[in-house]
Amino acid sequence: MYRSPTSALSAFVLLLLVYASPAVAANPEIFIKGLGDKAIASLNEQGISQDERIKRFQSLLNDAFDLPQIARFTLGRYWRVATDAEKTEFVEVFEKFVIQTYSARFQDLSGKKLTVTQSREVSATQTLVLSEILIPGKPSIKINWRVHSKDTQHKIVDVMVQGISMSVTQRDEFAAVIRQTGGKVGGLIKALRRKTASN
Amino acid sequence: MKVVRAFRIRVRGTIASAACIAFLAAGCATPPPADDREAVAAFNEANDPYEPFNRAMLDFNLALDKAILKPVTYVYREGVPDPLQTNVHNFLSNLRGPIVFANDLLQGEFERAGTTLLRFAMNSTIGLLGINDFAAEASIPEHEEDFGQTLATWNVEEGPYLVLPIFGPSNPRDGIGLLADSLMDPFTWLTPFEFRAARTPGQAIDRRAQAYDQINDLEKNSLDFYAVIRSLYRQKRRSEIRNGAPSSSKPIPGGLSGLPTPKPEGQQSKATSPGK
Repeated sequence: MYRSPTSALSAFVLLLLVYASPAVAANPEIFIKGLGDKAIASLNEQGISQDERIKRFQSLLNDAFDLPQIARFTLGRYWRVATDAEKTEFVEVFEKFVIQTYSARFQDLSGKKLTVTQSREVSATQTLVLSEILIPGKPSIKINWRVHSKDTQHKIVDVMVQGISMSVTQRDEFAAVIRQTGGKVGGLIKALRRKTASN
Repeated sequence: MKVVRAFRIRVRGTIASAACIAFLAAGCATPPPADDREAVAAFNEANDPYEPFNRAMLDFNLALDKAILKPVTYVYREGVPDPLQTNVHNFLSNLRGPIVFANDLLQGEFERAGTTLLRFAMNSTIGLLGINDFAAEASIPEHEEDFGQTLATWNVEEGPYLVLPIFGPSNPRDGIGLLADSLMDPFTWLTPFEFRAARTPGQAIDRRAQAYDQINDLEKNSLDFYAVIRSLYRQKRRSEIRNGAPSSSKPIPGGLSGLPTPKPEGQQSKATSPGK
């Protein structure tokens, strides 16, 4: 059926990319590469509905990102003063907010390609994977992924686009909102609820 | 060392309060009460003592943008064919060559200076006065430099966040950089008035066009547009100062250090950390 063992192997790898959970990979570099290929293939499929696209994005997001941990980071110093009920509520509404905001940002992936350039260990459990999105006829976009690993299980904890950390941006914004609502985490939760309900 | 630091903090404090008086009284943010530790830490981290003034300035800039720049840019994006827009962008970027070259040299980055010189020579000649970026196609990609970045590599502190009228997000260091760049730019001195009168708005439209979709996205998805712009501006500048190299000094989300610990010098110490 296959002309050479190599093509059989690549077909097998392709199968893995499509069906296996992207969070399981031999190392963080392979994890990011696989995630990029899978995201481009699955979100860029022609003829799927907008709802289906968002659903796929959500499942990729939940699988590959450590959202509760990111939520906790974005609350910064206010995590310590939040009540348990506020923490639970915040993590929940944060995930909604992220899906709403970022699914639109991954709309147009046609013709794009992700290549992993290198990686470096930042701690015993964390790796920074450097990659580039190649867009035909345009300068490439540098994307760095901070990956938390445990054996072959990998989760992304931050994404830096052209040197700008999404987690830090979100944390700075949330801090400003909290400060304006009198230092109360409840004020931020309310604002996030309004935002996710309106669009 | 300690004395120097204490002196610097003192000087900075004096300058800050003097500048604060110089602004309208309403332009200064009231620091939170000293016993509210979370609030004080958040206030210091924001490094934005003139926040009310800055917010008013952003509103002013946005109103100007909505009335003039955005509509003009819209027409430009819709009406001018994409290849021509690229030519305009290349032409304007090429004009920055001498400034980038000078700042490369001032930062002691001789290899990058060579790259800039080569690009300028190639694109100004066979690239037809810069409208084609043949150097990039020959794998000699563009990089930016400015005097604000040069000051940062000389360990000059950024100072508090400032939103300038028309020029937008800045700080004292970058404000001085902006002025210095325009003074050291040969095209400021060697070109007729008409050329300069066309270049400045051209640059504004080109930049606005490049950021058009992102700004729409941010306006739609942000809870506090002002705070997002402030954060993006600072992170972008830090990344540019490091010449795009990833920083490893940032707090690591997910690790035990996931909660940021306030540093005695706030954000400023990070901005000038040596990077390569």
